[in-house]
Amino acid sequence: MRAILGRLAICAAAAVVLALLPFTLSGLNQVLAARVALYFIAILGLNIVTGYTGQISIGHGAFMAIGGYTTAIMSADHHTNLIATLPLSFAIAFGCGVVVGLPASRLSGVYLALATLALAVSIPQLTLKFSHFTGARNGISVDGTVGYLWLYGVSWACAAILFVVAWLVLRGRTGRAFRAVRDSEVAAASSGVSLVLYKTLAFGISAAFAGVAGSLFVLATNGYAQPDEFSIFLSLYILIGAAVAGLGSLWGVMGGAAFVALLPNISQSAPLIRSIPVGGQDIAAGLVVVLVMLLLPTGLAGLLQRMALAASALRRRSGIPTAERG
Amino acid sequence: MRWKFGFLAFAAGVALIATVTSATGAQKLDPGVTAKTIHIGGTFPFSGPAALYSAIPLAERAYFLYVNAHGGVNGRKIQFTYYDDGYDPSKTVPLTQKLVEQDKVFADYGSLGTAPVLATRAYLNAKKVPQVLVATGDSYWGTDYKKYPWTIGWQPDYPGEAKIYAQFINSKIPQAKIGILYQNDAYGQNYLNAFKSGLGASGQSKIVSAQSYDVTAPSVQQQVVALKVAGANTFVLFSTPAATIQALVIATKIGWHPTEFVNNVSATETFMALATKAGGNVEGAITAGYVLDPNSAAETSKPGAVLGKHILDLYDGGKSIFDTNDMYGLASAWTMVQALKNAGNPPTRAGLMQALLSLNLKGNPWLYPGFTEKTSATDHFPVEQLVLARYHSGGPAGIGSFDPFGRVFNNTH
Amino acid sequence: MSVYELFGRLGIRDLGARRISTGASVPVLALLVAGAVFLAVGSLMSSTFAELTVSGVAQGSVFASLALALVLIYRATEVVNFAQGEMAMGTTYIAYQFTVWGLSYWAAFFATLAIAFVAGVAVQQLVIRPVQRKSVLAVVIVTIGLLSLIDGVVLWIWGGDPKFMPAPFGNSVYHVGGVTMSLTDLGTIAVSIATVVVLWLFFQFTKLGLAMRASALRPAAARLVGVRVNWMLALGWGFAAALGAVSGLLTEPNQFVLSPTMMQPILIYAFAAAVLGGLESPVGAVISGIALGVFLNLLGQYGGYLKDSALRLPVAFAVLLLVLLVKPSGLFGRAAVRKV
Repeated sequence: MRAILGRLAICAAAAVVLALLPFTLSGLNQVLAARVALYFIAILGLNIVTGYTGQISIGHGAFMAIGGYTTAIMSADHHTNLIATLPLSFAIAFGCGVVVGLPASRLSGVYLALATLALAVSIPQLTLKFSHFTGARNGISVDGTVGYLWLYGVSWACAAILFVVAWLVLRGRTGRAFRAVRDSEVAAASSGVSLVLYKTLAFGISAAFAGVAGSLFVLATNGYAQPDEFSIFLSLYILIGAAVAGLGSLWGVMGGAAFVALLPNISQSAPLIRSIPVGGQDIAAGLVVVLVMLLLPTGLAGLLQRMALAASALRRRSGIPTAERG
Repeated sequence: MRWKFGFLAFAAGVALIATVTSATGAQKLDPGVTAKTIHIGGTFPFSGPAALYSAIPLAERAYFLYVNAHGGVNGRKIQFTYYDDGYDPSKTVPLTQKLVEQDKVFADYGSLGTAPVLATRAYLNAKKVPQVLVATGDSYWGTDYKKYPWTIGWQPDYPGEAKIYAQFINSKIPQAKIGILYQNDAYGQNYLNAFKSGLGASGQSKIVSAQSYDVTAPSVQQQVVALKVAGANTFVLFSTPAATIQALVIATKIGWHPTEFVNNVSATETFMALATKAGGNVEGAITAGYVLDPNSAAETSKPGAVLGKHILDLYDGGKSIFDTNDMYGLASAWTMVQALKNAGNPPTRAGLMQALLSLNLKGNPWLYPGFTEKTSATDHFPVEQLVLARYHSGGPAGIGSFDPFGRVFNNTH
Repeated sequence: MSVYELFGRLGIRDLGARRISTGASVPVLALLVAGAVFLAVGSLMSSTFAELTVSGVAQGSVFASLALALVLIYRATEVVNFAQGEMAMGTTYIAYQFTVWGLSYWAAFFATLAIAFVAGVAVQQLVIRPVQRKSVLAVVIVTIGLLSLIDGVVLWIWGGDPKFMPAPFGNSVYHVGGVTMSLTDLGTIAVSIATVVVLWLFFQFTKLGLAMRASALRPAAARLVGVRVNWMLALGWGFAAALGAVSGLLTEPNQFVLSPTMMQPILIYAFAAAVLGGLESPVGAVISGIALGVFLNLLGQYGGYLKDSALRLPVAFAVLLLVLLVKPSGLFGRAAVRKV
């Protein structure tokens, strides 16, 4: 009980900080914070399928593209309110996730990963084929412009809602089934957990999260959707974020999201790098990613776990009873 | 005593600061302009698939440095900040926001690529920041000015260029059997559609095959073979440089020797020289151009080419080969400097747009001799002249040249 | 006592078995034979078909060598190396630099292979080994970091504009019974096949090769008989890097110019080939790579509605997914043993 109250207090504090934050930020930093939110959502989604269900996907850029194009097309062609396109993105991406997840549940490990990679590479190509809807390489723009504060508010509101959704899904029956699938498929199946159902469900939920993130990604790109934005590198970025976050922890995700959103800024402002005219950013980004993985191979989640272990060991030694772990 | 003196000094200081601020405040300079500098910026692909255009911003920077060394623009030095967006609009947007809101540039100048410019156009227009002389040949920049008054292009547009090839083929190659290779996106299709309409109903029957390719494909071999098989004797390429080089070499290797038409953005001497070295026979390939060819025998010793090489030697050091991409950068930067000179003193953003919409420039040293840059309230296309040119391999420094022939095409838009 | 006997005593018998078995089942073999017959008949009937098949095999053998590199690393480290394409691209730039300095093409070629080998070993020892046992995901991310790093370094040193290397096989063309074949295509096929054969001989008939296979398949047992497993895995990375360099060096004459992005599409197809072949199967990777190259070339010419170039990649992947649905561990892969 105390643990839950404590977590609620942390959540409330986080909400207050996030609500007040934009008033201390410049316009540029509001956009940056909005990017943190959208990567937060995407990584959270990936974490559900990879960290909690044990299925590796490197194609989440594909679902982001689906969400992003949903928003752009609905707004440009049907003048749908931008906020109203977000649940639509969620639903359409969920549908696509289920359609993909159903056959994908037959695959595991690297085969699944590369099947999702194939998806990530194919979706931007399909936008070229259906240029009537997508504008091909000239892209498609939402109706109207997107303000910074609006973007910040909508992004973080989505992040908060989806965080709660993820928490509710993962703490209950479904979450236990996911973890059972991750820990041992045979054991899960023999105790009555349907592998196909839960693998597909996890894929669908995860895709839906990515869809909303994709909508926000397009909105943060001045509402402009274009196939080159959803290159394979976007999927890899999300994967990097998930690795920095660490698998299976909701709290590490925030750190992973901030890392991915800030990576271009880190690499732009590295002092030595600025003297390298071309390629400096890539060098810096590559070095930072490699170093972070060398230092934190299990991500922030692993670090938090180790810190918690150390703290409880310390308490035990000093005779203070440790709080019950809920 | 000491305190009193300190107080007096403090008061005097305050007074001084107050007068200085009120003096500058009275001038009310536009963002990016100071008494000594004008800050402009743009986004360019230094990495990614379009990185081969990185020569353009470097030549532009060289010209601005040259102008600065000769007194600048009405006494102000040009500061040029450029960022690498890798041709990815999702990177162009934050970098452009950074240029405007953090670097506080006066104008977004020369940004390269259709999609990156489309991605930032609404933003820059909402902020009333000039987005000028963008380096893309789509026609939006010249036609959408009512909705986006702060955006203007520079070079002749792709459809106009395609129509010139069509006209030439109709009048000069009556026996043509046309095979087309085009990129399967808006860029390639823009060219293709204009080319077809330029050919007219009777001309279109000469097209024996049109093959598309995708930029992500490792090879265009299959498409070129298909064009040869279809019996084409006239090969029209609406492609980007890497695919163009491949296609030209493959054509030679499979024993196909058609008359070749190469669209302007792929037809630099560097790309043609690469194709030649790789075994392609590109002698006589035809393109339509508007900037000076520094390697053409007729031009190489003329003042424009000499000055261009001098500037690039000084400020874009270490280049051994100069091609039309370098000349493009110099010519565009020259136009920008002329516009800045006429944008008021101190220059204003509105003044810059006004200057760019009343261009009447003759004598840009790096455009084809005699070409003019004209605009008006209703004509938003600065360069609207083209001339056909034929490639001759093996000029000075082992690099060939595009030598103009025939008449100049006016009002190509 | 020979190493073979040692492994025999330790019960590592399947190492020997792998020398013959390719893991392919009867239906798969039948499919391959049918494909080969189809190509042969088609080539006899149409010279265009034959030309596309030859150039498809050439393109496919480039996919195959990179796919084989991926398989080598997968066997050594159990991860997919995202940096494989950029490593190949980077080493090709090194070869380019050698030719600029005046080395002949083939001198540059072999010098580059040596450098690539050393670089591969160094990468494994410096950045892969420290994270290898902690998290598979971390290793994958490290390879993504390397991808970006190599990209940046190449852009920094050589810039993004295309570079030219002299053609290794000259520019001549052969005509065989109305079929035009370029020497570049034939040379590409010859070099990649030669590389694969040399590598196969090495792994089958040298002690070092055996020790490397043992380290990848049964690390604990290999350690018991005194094999320095870590170094064997590092050598695996070295061979993979060298093989990747071959694919880079063969890609350049096919695309005629050298650019930092040239291996990105190749890598995607190499992934597909490696997965199609079953990831652990070198034979599978090579056959799938070549099949993919031919398939893509023929699809563009005879694909009907599907020949639209925007659909080439999606169609290729749709076929891949279909195969995986029927055989979830690839054409030549073994069914994964599930642990309870």
